[in-house]
Amino acid sequence: MKLSRNSFFLTGRLVLGVVFLYAGLIKAADVAGFAGQVAAYQLLPYAFNYLVAATLPYVEIACGVLLLFKRHVRPALLLLAGMNLVFIGALLSVAWRGLEIDCGCFDPTGSSGTSAGAALLRDLVLMGLIVMTWRFKSARSAER
Amino acid sequence: MNSSGPAWWWSLVQAVLLLICSSLAGLAVNHQLVFDAFAGRLTTSVEAATPVADLTTFPVPALLADIDSLLEQGGLLVDARPQDIYALEHITGAVSLPMLGLDETFPRFREQTPLDRKIITYCSGYGCQDSFDLAMHLILEGYQNVYIYEGGFPEWQAAGRPVAGEGL
Repeated sequence: MKLSRNSFFLTGRLVLGVVFLYAGLIKAADVAGFAGQVAAYQLLPYAFNYLVAATLPYVEIACGVLLLFKRHVRPALLLLAGMNLVFIGALLSVAWRGLEIDCGCFDPTGSSGTSAGAALLRDLVLMGLIVMTWRFKSARSAER
Repeated sequence: MNSSGPAWWWSLVQAVLLLICSSLAGLAVNHQLVFDAFAGRLTTSVEAATPVADLTTFPVPALLADIDSLLEQGGLLVDARPQDIYALEHITGAVSLPMLGLDETFPRFREQTPLDRKIITYCSGYGCQDSFDLAMHLILEGYQNVYIYEGGFPEWQAAGRPVAGEGL
């Protein structure tokens, strides 16, 4: 049982680490392009799209690195959960308003063709993975 | 996410610190871009035009409020949407240069439009890629003052600005 918990925790931590590190790096490489993707959500005043585009990738990179190197795992998971909730809210807003945009989650140029519905589903899966990893981390800590 | 109280709160405090530190790192790397955006240099400073050297590498975003000023300066609105959509409805005064079939239509556009003229590309609003692709193509062809109106036709029409076309 302990082995399986460890395996689940390891898998969740590594998957989340790689996913968010990749997402952060690819956006950080094209901040202006990502700002355009943020603007496509039509949620923020124009300049604030650039502020989000300039900072969000680095938060993702920091969380990804911490998870991969097993440092400050709980804070990183908590921050990812918070960000994921914001992403889910933004995507729900896009779906509600009937906007047909690329989510920009893993492609700052917006050419991936990922719809808001597909991105929402992906974020819900990631949210589940974050919660499970948190629970396995807590269980491991309690066993010690 | 159940855990003991103090550990949970300590994780929350660390998460906030992590958010602040990583955001500051992002700002440190991209401070010029963010300052320019808040100073309006990427958007509304049409009069204080960005130096030509900067415009040769990337198109400049333009807001609805910028369009009149750009047109007064001799700007030309260019519709990047497909020809049939342009024919139905387009911004009054805009010319059609669709990304689809660009190789055939561009030579004529090039003949009629000097390289130093201000060009404002648009398509179907935020999330539409054609205006950006067309702007990049124009820059690569030597146009020095290329802007992207990201709000595009939907924003223009919603604002009650003049439109033309067969579909009206």
